[in-house]
Parts: sequence; C-alpha cells; structure tokens
Amino acid sequence: MKRILLAVFGILALAFATLTPAFAQSKGTVYYMVPTLLDEFQTGSVSALELFLKQVGYEMKTLNADNKTDAQQSQMNDVIALKPTAIILAAVDFNALKPSIEAARAAGIPVIEFDRQITSTPSDFTSVAGTIEIGYVAADQAEKLLKAKNGAVKGKVLQVLGDPGDPYTLDIQKGFEDKMKAFPDVKIISLPAMQWEASNAGTIVADQMLANPDIDLIFSHAAHLSVAAVASLEAAGKKPGDVMLMSSNGAPVGLDLIRKGWLNVEVEQPLYAQAAAVAMFMDKVAKKQDIKPGEYDVLGLKSTVTKETWGPNIKIPGAAITKENVDNPAFWGNQKPPTDTVKPVE
Amino acid sequence: MNPRTRRALEFVLDNLVWFMLLFVLVVFSIFVPNYFQLGIFANIIEASSVLGVMSIGLALVIIAGHMDLSVESVAALSAMAVGILFCSSGIGLGVQLHPEWLMVPVSLVLALAVGGLIGAFNGYLVVRVKMSAFIITLASYIWVRGLVLVISGGRSAQDLAPAIRWFGIQRLIGLPLTAWIAIGCFVVFSLIMAKTPFGRHLVMIGGNETATFRAGIRVNRNLIIAFVLAGAIAGLAGWLLAIRTSGATANLGVGLLFNAFAAVVIGGVSLKGGVGTLPGVYAGVLLLSAINTAINLMGLPANFTQVIHGLLVLAAVLLDAFKQTIRQRLA
Repeated sequence: MKRILLAVFGILALAFATLTPAFAQSKGTVYYMVPTLLDEFQTGSVSALELFLKQVGYEMKTLNADNKTDAQQSQMNDVIALKPTAIILAAVDFNALKPSIEAARAAGIPVIEFDRQITSTPSDFTSVAGTIEIGYVAADQAEKLLKAKNGAVKGKVLQVLGDPGDPYTLDIQKGFEDKMKAFPDVKIISLPAMQWEASNAGTIVADQMLANPDIDLIFSHAAHLSVAAVASLEAAGKKPGDVMLMSSNGAPVGLDLIRKGWLNVEVEQPLYAQAAAVAMFMDKVAKKQDIKPGEYDVLGLKSTVTKETWGPNIKIPGAAITKENVDNPAFWGNQKPPTDTVKPVE
Repeated sequence: MNPRTRRALEFVLDNLVWFMLLFVLVVFSIFVPNYFQLGIFANIIEASSVLGVMSIGLALVIIAGHMDLSVESVAALSAMAVGILFCSSGIGLGVQLHPEWLMVPVSLVLALAVGGLIGAFNGYLVVRVKMSAFIITLASYIWVRGLVLVISGGRSAQDLAPAIRWFGIQRLIGLPLTAWIAIGCFVVFSLIMAKTPFGRHLVMIGGNETATFRAGIRVNRNLIIAFVLAGAIAGLAGWLLAIRTSGATANLGVGLLFNAFAAVVIGGVSLKGGVGTLPGVYAGVLLLSAINTAINLMGLPANFTQVIHGLLVLAAVLLDAFKQTIRQRLA
C-alpha cells in the first residue's frame, strides 16, 4: 500500500514539474497594484504588463483597489508581507501611497511607478507619459483647432474633467490650463463629471450647449466621456463637425469617434510603450542595478530616462491621434499589441 | 382654525416638496444666468429620467418597509447586457434583428428580465429565508457590479443600434422620449400605489407587517412582487441609461443609488416604511436635477453638489419632523 501511495505521489510530482515549466523558469512574481478596472486604460494596462513581463520571464499578479486609497494601502501592506520580486504601483492617490512605497522599499522590495508619477518619495523606476504633459499636448491641439476654426486662437472651450478627487484629472487640467493662459481670448469652462461617470458628462454637455451655444471645443479627460458628450450633441440635433471635440487617453471608443467624424483629436497615453518600458527595465530593478540616463527606443518611440530626485524616470511622449493617423497599430486603442518581443536592457 | 385654512395647510404639507421645487426653480431662474429657458427645463426633466425611474423601484420597497441597495448595480448590469448585444463598437456584438424595430422590445425585455431576476433573487432571500434586506441587497450591490466588470472585462460597449437610440433623440413636445417614458412610469406606478389593492397593501405592510398579515393579506407574496418590480424597474433605468449614453461603460450609473435615496427621502418617503407617495418622489428627483443643472451653469465645483444634496436630505428629514408636529397640532 505504502509503495503504491509513494508511486502515485511520485507520478504526481513528476507531472506537476513537467506541466509547469513556466514556474521553473520564472524570474519571480511581480504584483501590479491597479487603481481600478472600471476604465479601459487600466484594463488594457493589466493585459499589456502581463504580456511584456511574461516575455522577460516574470509572472504578474494584479490587485484592484477599486479607486479606493485605503484599499490600495491595505493591499500594499499585504503584498509587502508576500515579499514579491517587485511591486508595480499605479496609485489611486499620488501622495497617500508615499508611506506604503517607503515601507516596501524598506523591506527590500523594489517599487515601480506606472502611469502615475509620485515625486514625493523615491521609487526604483517610474514609467509615465506624464499627466501634466497630456494637458500640454491637448493645449497644443486646442490651439491648432481654434486657430483653424476662428482664424485666431480665440473662442470657448468646455473642459469636462473626471472626478474632482482624482489627481490624474487635476494634473491634466493643470497642464492644459497653464498652457492656455497664453491665449486670453480663449474662455475655458471647466466642469467635473463626478466619479468619471459617462451620463454625468452627458448632462454637463447638454446644459452647457444651451447656456453657451457658442462653445467651439469640448475637451473631455477620457474617451468614454466623449461618447456621452456625443450622445448629448446628437440629441440636441448636432452633426459631426458642428462642435469640435477632443479627449485624452486614447481608448478604443475615442478612436471610433474619430473615424465617425465626431472627435477631432484624441491625446494618447502610450499604454503599450509605458508597459514595455517597465518590462525592459525589470531585470535591473529586480537586481537593484543602476539604470543609466539617456535615450531608449521603446517600441519605436524615442523615450528619455532621467535621474530625478524620485529615482530613474522614463518619459514616453503621448501622441495626438487624428483622422490622418487613427489606424496606426501602435496606438493601444486599436487593440493590436506589438508582435515584437521586448528585450531586457543590458 | 377654520376648515378651509386647515385644508389649505394640509394641502401645503402634503405637497411641500413641490412647493420647494417651485421655489428653487424661481430662485435659480432669477439669479442663475441662462437658467430661465425652455431648453434648460427640458434638460432638467431629461437628466432626471434615469434617476426618476430608479427611484420608483426603490420607493416601492422602502414604502413596504424594506430596503433595496442593489438598484444602481442592477441598472448598470442591464445597461451592459443591452450594450454588449446591441452596440456595434467596443465590446458590442452588434446583434441585428429584422425588422430593426424588433430590437426595441427585445432589448427592453432583456433589461427588464435581468433586473427582475435579481429582484426575485433578493426577494426570495429576504422574504423566504428571512434575511436582512439591507445585507442581502448590499451584497447584490457589490456582486452585481462585479458581474458588470466580469462580463465587460472593464471595457465599454458603444454605438447603440439607431433603432434603440431613437428614443434618446426623438422629441415629443420638446422632451426626448426617454423623459416621457420616465413620466409615464411615474403616472402608472402612482396610480398603482394609490388605486390598486397591491399598492394599498404595500403601504399597510410598511406600516405594520404583522397587523397586515393578521388581516389576511398575503404579505410575503406582495413583498416578493415589490422586490421583483424594484429590480425590473432598475433594469428599465439601465435601458434608459444605455440609450442616454449610447452604450455602456463598466462604471455606468456609479453614484446613482445615493441620489435615488436622496430623492426618495426628499420626496417624503419614510425610511421606516408605510409613508410616501410617488408624485412626491418625482418632485424630489426634479429638485435634485434642478440643483445639478444650476451648479453646471454656475460653474461651481462639483463637490458643491454633494454638499447641497446632503443638506437637502437633512432639510427634508427636518421638514418631515416639522410636518408631523404641525399635523399633531391640527389633529
């Protein structure tokens, strides 16, 4: 009986070992702390990071904070206890996670900031497009659109923000409004869509189109808000092109709206490149090796690594998507992940 | 006090929320630029359609002395189900039916069925298994929203079939059909609550469940029907939400539950059960929508909305206590 049991256990152990070569070859487990999954960019970030990290030999596990700062702090504490190879953090709140980052690093776990830059404390690596920079790019595009329509940079812009408690939207607003200060003839009306909820954005647009029928441009801080804005414009009898539209993040729905002629510009967050950059530098981060500043090619995008007070930081330029380049497969909104394998930086 | 004065005072007390609405509309029309125009009033009614329909179902259950916290998530799930089937972009499957108008009843039945099923599940556990409605529907609020995330993968469905979207674009006397649907729901359910045995029984159950049972009324059956109705009506709210936004996102409808509660309480429905009318609830919904619109037009930070909503609920509760005091004096 004992022999039979031993034989069975032996066979099972052998089968387990042969069936799980990935675990045998894995360089370790990385935890990704995603702020929410109620957002296409975040959902896409999970798939992209999983794909690229697998290519460089890491297994990834994801924890969703449901947009709750306290939940993310608790998750960080739990993950620190698990001693993973590294933690990738896309913070719900840019500042509130500072003690958690410090606790993780004190426990010898490297922390990578993804998409949301935290400058108040050092991290081991930061991969961002730059939320304030997205605002800058949007401002450049607004300048072009208003000039083309009105002959000069003047007119009315309705800015539909996300949730007023979300630093992400506040940063985009800051970048956009800072740059637009150069144009005093542009009036910006800024209103937040509570909880990033689409129908709230629709209501704002419906009301504002009545109160300010001369609005030239609507800038929403996420593509799904633009969808609701379009629905309200449509209900008001507007046609594509009657009011210019722009949004940020580059989600698939935004690209669809460009193809349909409703949306003029979508400012993309280079999701694939941001995720690929994390994978490229993961070995160095895990081994706590020095990351050299300079220019790096990330999926064909020239990206710059700099040494900042908060650690090595790679900034990947966000592109403006228009009718001319909307079908470019490099944009994550086209949902065609790169076929090239990511290589770790030597 | 002479009978005429007494009747006048009772009328004012019974319809206090409508007078509040009138007062607020007059004040905003005077002080908020661009507020006083037909288009804005149409927007107020349109913007309140989803919240209004959702509040009906919630009010039914609260009047019956229970609670349904799941209505927001049920609406989101119904919207997502309709979106996935009948949207052509994002995760929409772009299902086409011929003739095209067939998509309207099919999508509506789907939304109602999704809501009704969850309502039946809640009702069964609350009534038959005798579990707390608060806990059961709180659990449903969480798992149903999770289900939205599961079936959507966090992605959105966009570009709703034109045949369904038609209800959000087509106008009748300046109002989109979605708003007329909400108004119709209020009329129908107000009549049901006021004129049918079912409606009267719900009020009695909310007032005193044991006494109602001893009077030979089928309490359990009526309560289960109330939960099924609340779910189905939330499903209808989801259908309207999908129409309004031309699709569905995973976070669609987030925050509606608390607005619905606010509307119900402001509308004079007692959270203890047994007290409240649906016209009052509709006035509460319109009041919230009127305030939101004013905030939009004034360009105030949106956080003000929450502060004002909270203060309004507080005012409604205080007014309710004040009304009770006056009624006691009148008696």
